[in-house]
Amino acid sequence: MRIERYGALLATVLLASCQAAQPLTEAQAAARRPAGAHLAALYDASCRSCHTRRDSGAPLSGDHTQWDARWAKGPDTLLQHAVAGYNAMPAGGQCATCTAADYTALIRFMADQRQ
Amino acid sequence: MGTTRRALLIGGGVVAAGAAGLAGRRVWLDREPPALPVIDRSGHLLWQNWAATEHAYPATRVSPASPDEAAHLLRTAKGPVRMVGAGHSFTALVPTDATLVSLDNLSGVLGHDAATGRASVGAGTRLYDLGPQLAAIGQEMPNLPDINKQTLAGATQTGTHGTGRGFTALHGGIVEFDLATPRGEVLTCNATSNPEVFNAARVGLGAFGIMTRFTMQNRPLTRVKKVTSLRPREELIEGWDDLQRRHRNVEFYVIPFSHWGQLITHDETTEPVRPRGPDTDTKGAMDLKQARDLFEFATPLRFWTADHLIAGMPDQVAIDQGWKLLSNERPLRFREIEYHLPRENQIAALREVVDAIERHRPDVFIPIEVRSIAPDDAWLSSFQGRESGSIAVHAHYKDDYQFFYTLIEPILRRHGGRPHWGKLNSLKYDDFAALYPRWKEALAVRDHLDPEGKLLNPYLTRVLRRG
Repeated sequence: MRIERYGALLATVLLASCQAAQPLTEAQAAARRPAGAHLAALYDASCRSCHTRRDSGAPLSGDHTQWDARWAKGPDTLLQHAVAGYNAMPAGGQCATCTAADYTALIRFMADQRQ
Repeated sequence: MGTTRRALLIGGGVVAAGAAGLAGRRVWLDREPPALPVIDRSGHLLWQNWAATEHAYPATRVSPASPDEAAHLLRTAKGPVRMVGAGHSFTALVPTDATLVSLDNLSGVLGHDAATGRASVGAGTRLYDLGPQLAAIGQEMPNLPDINKQTLAGATQTGTHGTGRGFTALHGGIVEFDLATPRGEVLTCNATSNPEVFNAARVGLGAFGIMTRFTMQNRPLTRVKKVTSLRPREELIEGWDDLQRRHRNVEFYVIPFSHWGQLITHDETTEPVRPRGPDTDTKGAMDLKQARDLFEFATPLRFWTADHLIAGMPDQVAIDQGWKLLSNERPLRFREIEYHLPRENQIAALREVVDAIERHRPDVFIPIEVRSIAPDDAWLSSFQGRESGSIAVHAHYKDDYQFFYTLIEPILRRHGGRPHWGKLNSLKYDDFAALYPRWKEALAVRDHLDPEGKLLNPYLTRVLRRG
């Protein structure tokens, strides 16, 4: 009985470790694109230039190892950082026509979080 | 004995308090600058430039998808109408509380001619996108700036440049452009069609209309070898003339509070490709910041530390197509002043600038950039009619930069410099009028195209209209 319980626990731990986020490569990040045409166009013209290049210092698009801690700060903080700038993140992320809703959607996409 | 011990204790306490005070000062100075509200009282979203030196809350943001749409917009929109590229200009060219125009919907390579090596390009194309698109048709821009996030329109309207004797700034490659004007026209301008607009608006600060398309004179793709090396500062300064003769593209950085500089060269090669490695410039700059933080008030120690950190560092070599190597990622945000001087004055001015910084500004740690640019004939180009040597001084985005105006700019002006249109300076109408031989002709063209001054925001009014 005890052995079965330990076995289940071990399996859970192993499963969790298998599912732990792995860093993405630049190519994997570059292959991602938002689904909608409007958001994809904004992403292509702005976010993509930094969020697919490790040297830019920006978290790679879709990389949970870099985004999860940021996502935990909450949408309002991330929107504030995107629009007003924070550390290496330039204000507005070089998107001059993004609305607040666009920024929120782009952040959600790059953080790879479902609606 | 008791007195000695007391004196030692007091002395130790004073030293400890001093060290704690300096550390506390540094922590205070290193705090993130206060952020502006995302939305203003009228519900308008914040726009801010890359360096966070300028901001606005535009009421309307638009991105025309055709030249006619751009012309209609200019005729009907509320002014000031200002165009924005990537927001990389440090000066207040963009801020408007009325209409902000992005060129993102006017981008991409539209056509090309293999025989002449020319390509027709949407004005809003980002330079980092243009490189691979031109490579796909076997072309490249002859030169690129240090950063490639800008749009082609933003870069050329501000006279953005790279380095290399015989290489013009980016606008030197423009052979034709389409310009939507506030009169509602779309003008095609080249050396024979609307030549006065071609000459006046090629470097035009977004004050003549909306650039919608360029024809660029490119050249066949080249493979270059990029070598980055650390060299004694004096060797670079003394050898600058020779270095420019020996290398296709060459620049160097003086590392302040050290005896060293960084040399970057690009030369054509047939050697096998060796892709560039990860960025090390940012870590290098942060190491210099750390040396500044520790020894800001102990200059000899700072020199000693920097010299020992730098000496013996290996060269870095990369071999690839030019568009992959000439520009760099710059995740470290900064403020910058850059002037373009008559070539013969560059080194004398550089020596004065470095001396002034090392005497009076121990807070400076970002290296001082030295480049060379060929002359061109655009009326408002900072390189108009003369071979130029540029000097750029930077300040970390959390640091004070007012010394640009009080300490650096007077030196650069005394040596006959013209400021980079996108970088910090304090000049006004009369100053520019004295620096540009075709100033009044250029402004007459501008006033004809924009009689109501719809494209003038407060900054451009100060620059382009006599006070």
